[in-house]
Amino acid sequence: METGSEKNGRQATESDGLLVLKNVTKKFGDNVVLDNVSLTIDKGRTTVVIGPSGCGKTVLIKHLIVLLRPSEGEVYFKNRRIDNLSERDLNKVRIHFGFLFQGGALFDSLSVAENVMFPIRQHCKLTERDWVDDVIKTKLAMVGLDGFQQFYPANLSGGQRKRVALARAIALDPEVILYDEPTTGLDPIRSDIINELILKLQRELGVTTIVVTHDMTSAYKIADRIIMLHNGRVIADGDADHIRNHPHPTVQQFIHGQVGEDDLAVLRASTAVSKAQFLPRDFEQ
Amino acid sequence: MIEVLGAKTVRGVSNAGRFGRFVWQSIVACARSSVLSRTYPLIWTQMHLIGVRRVPVVMITGAFVGMTLAIQAYDQLVIMGLEERMGQLIGLSVVSELGPVLAAVMLAGRVGGALTAELGTMNVTEQIDAVRSMGTDPIRHLVAPRVLACLLLTPALIIYADLLGVLGGFFVSVTLKGINSQAYWSFSASAVELWDVSVGIAKGFFFGVAIAIISCYKGFHCKEGAQGVGRACTEAFVSSFIAILALNLALAIISKAVYNTFWPVRSLL
Repeated sequence: METGSEKNGRQATESDGLLVLKNVTKKFGDNVVLDNVSLTIDKGRTTVVIGPSGCGKTVLIKHLIVLLRPSEGEVYFKNRRIDNLSERDLNKVRIHFGFLFQGGALFDSLSVAENVMFPIRQHCKLTERDWVDDVIKTKLAMVGLDGFQQFYPANLSGGQRKRVALARAIALDPEVILYDEPTTGLDPIRSDIINELILKLQRELGVTTIVVTHDMTSAYKIADRIIMLHNGRVIADGDADHIRNHPHPTVQQFIHGQVGEDDLAVLRASTAVSKAQFLPRDFEQ
Repeated sequence: MIEVLGAKTVRGVSNAGRFGRFVWQSIVACARSSVLSRTYPLIWTQMHLIGVRRVPVVMITGAFVGMTLAIQAYDQLVIMGLEERMGQLIGLSVVSELGPVLAAVMLAGRVGGALTAELGTMNVTEQIDAVRSMGTDPIRHLVAPRVLACLLLTPALIIYADLLGVLGGFFVSVTLKGINSQAYWSFSASAVELWDVSVGIAKGFFFGVAIAIISCYKGFHCKEGAQGVGRACTEAFVSSFIAILALNLALAIISKAVYNTFWPVRSLL
């Protein structure tokens, strides 16, 4: 029986799971974005983190790859603490991750092929050009964009940019793929293409997947486990059915897309404004 | 009031520490990149963008500096009957001070602004985070090539500025003011020593590094949005400008002290 403020089921220890957040708190000045969050991410599964805008989802996912360091708490990857590593040591850890940023974060001055080649060039000895071309072709084919090698990001649609960014994220065959709002800004069909790609990569590469989203359709489709953040704390943690039937009113409001009573009261309380206050006289005439 | 003052002081010290750490990381990254052949293509690209494309504007700057100096100085020299020494005045002024400083200021505006805008845009669109997420040091990949390119090319651009400054002064002095051309070049050659040329060019190394590091720092740490990037560009230029003036003063003092130490007799002449 879950309590009103659910704390992810079990206490995280450094010996559990592929990725562990242990009592992580993150503050920006006086603003507490993550408040004593403990999470264990299991290997080979898809974990989706949902929550309203500004609740700390992106901040949370950036902690997993230590793009942000916690104000308090610890982060573990394969039983090794990583939040206190130097940037040089972290670079050796980060090659095990692929990160799809919300806007794609493609390098504007590089072509599609050069973007996908970037991590390969940084970490592999490029002795044979053909081998590199084959790898790029394979990665782009996995996301359905083989043939776009010479295009530049400015010439691509939003969905195509995200797919190229995904091809770049999997260039080094990572163990973990992190997705930051992968379907934001896309139409329903393109969103479903991204959902299918996430499932396909999960199946074919056997990766551990963590997705941050507020798209419930996407969450229900791809998730083995759904975690909800609210005001920097975990308030729900379970599979799709568990979330659908969760007793917490905030969870129900969020998953059904319903505005809360407090917000409704604010909207209803605003005074109705007459046309004359805004429109110029000659427009009215 | 004490709280406000204290908060500003803490913020100032924090920013100074952050900048100091960035400078150190950039210097280390530059040292590593200079011996890693796979970073050379990045450096060549930046040298083309920073150096080759800036030659015309730097030459124009130098030419106008020389011409303006000639116009302003002529009347003063005529009063004393020393107009034939125009080459001496223009040569020394342009080569040791005006050429390096004004060329650097021009570069701070063109190159510095471009660097800040580019890196600032990369920052707000998470491209710098993307570089980090792929296990690459963004300072080694983005900052070091730009700093090395500025380090190598600013002195070269100053040479162009100096050359056009002297030629611009020659054009005004001889063509417009009727000064004997042989006198112009003779006095110019006798007054301008190799030391003056060397100091002027050496200033370019310091100015180039200052412009690049300040501009890259502002880009890396700009606030979100177009306003954040725009403000960072303005701050980068102002900071670079002040740094150029401060470095120029410091280097002038040091070079004078060195000159007086090694050539004490000549300095009295």
